[in-house]
Amino acid sequence: MVHALEEIRRVLVPGGVLLDLRPLSVNSPVEVVAGERVMQAGRLDEPPGDPDDTAANEAMAHVERAGWFTPERKGAFELAYEWDTPDEMKAYIDERWATGKLPESVWVEARRLTATAGAGAKARVLRRMVIARWRKRQT
Amino acid sequence: MTLRKDPEGIETAHLRDFAPLAGARVLEVGCGDGRLTWRYAAAARRVVGIDPDAEDLSIAFRECPAQLRSTVILARAQAEALPFPRETFDVAVLAWSL
Repeated sequence: MVHALEEIRRVLVPGGVLLDLRPLSVNSPVEVVAGERVMQAGRLDEPPGDPDDTAANEAMAHVERAGWFTPERKGAFELAYEWDTPDEMKAYIDERWATGKLPESVWVEARRLTATAGAGAKARVLRRMVIARWRKRQT
Repeated sequence: MTLRKDPEGIETAHLRDFAPLAGARVLEVGCGDGRLTWRYAAAARRVVGIDPDAEDLSIAFRECPAQLRSTVILARAQAEALPFPRETFDVAVLAWSL
């Protein structure tokens, strides 16, 4: 990870910008949305403190200590993943979500909420994202 | 399967707010299937998207919008060994890849 950051530093111009955009493991909320209504079904089993998050934070701390990049700005937001049905949500998370699992009880609740909400209801997960801007030192 | 990621464009808005993309030479590390790339590339002078995953890259090649084909270059590469000369880019985007 640090070696990749060293490579990025090499190909950036002096004063160039490094943007770090990544998800965090934070037990993301699972919701059913029907028009303006948002209903909570529960949360993913996605414990905070994922080793990948820790490693990424440590790598950025290293490049700051080494004087390669200077932190300029940080932020966070929620990224929506939206499916037409809870079953599609479950299939996607089971197959592709590396850091978390959809508990059976949450899936069942999402199905119940979708059935009661009627046509057009969507299942969604809001994933916590962090974004940070770093600048390569001039020298 | 119908998955819509970021249907309201929140991620794209943050990217544009945080990165000086206008006229920039951008390296996107971990471009994957290009989902994010297509959303900002029009503002840049040049975007080079790299990813080690051949399957994702093949999707990106296939789905690159026609109007971006002169702006976006896609390549299979690892971040640990970037095949570019020093000081080539103004902005590097680590897209879900750190």
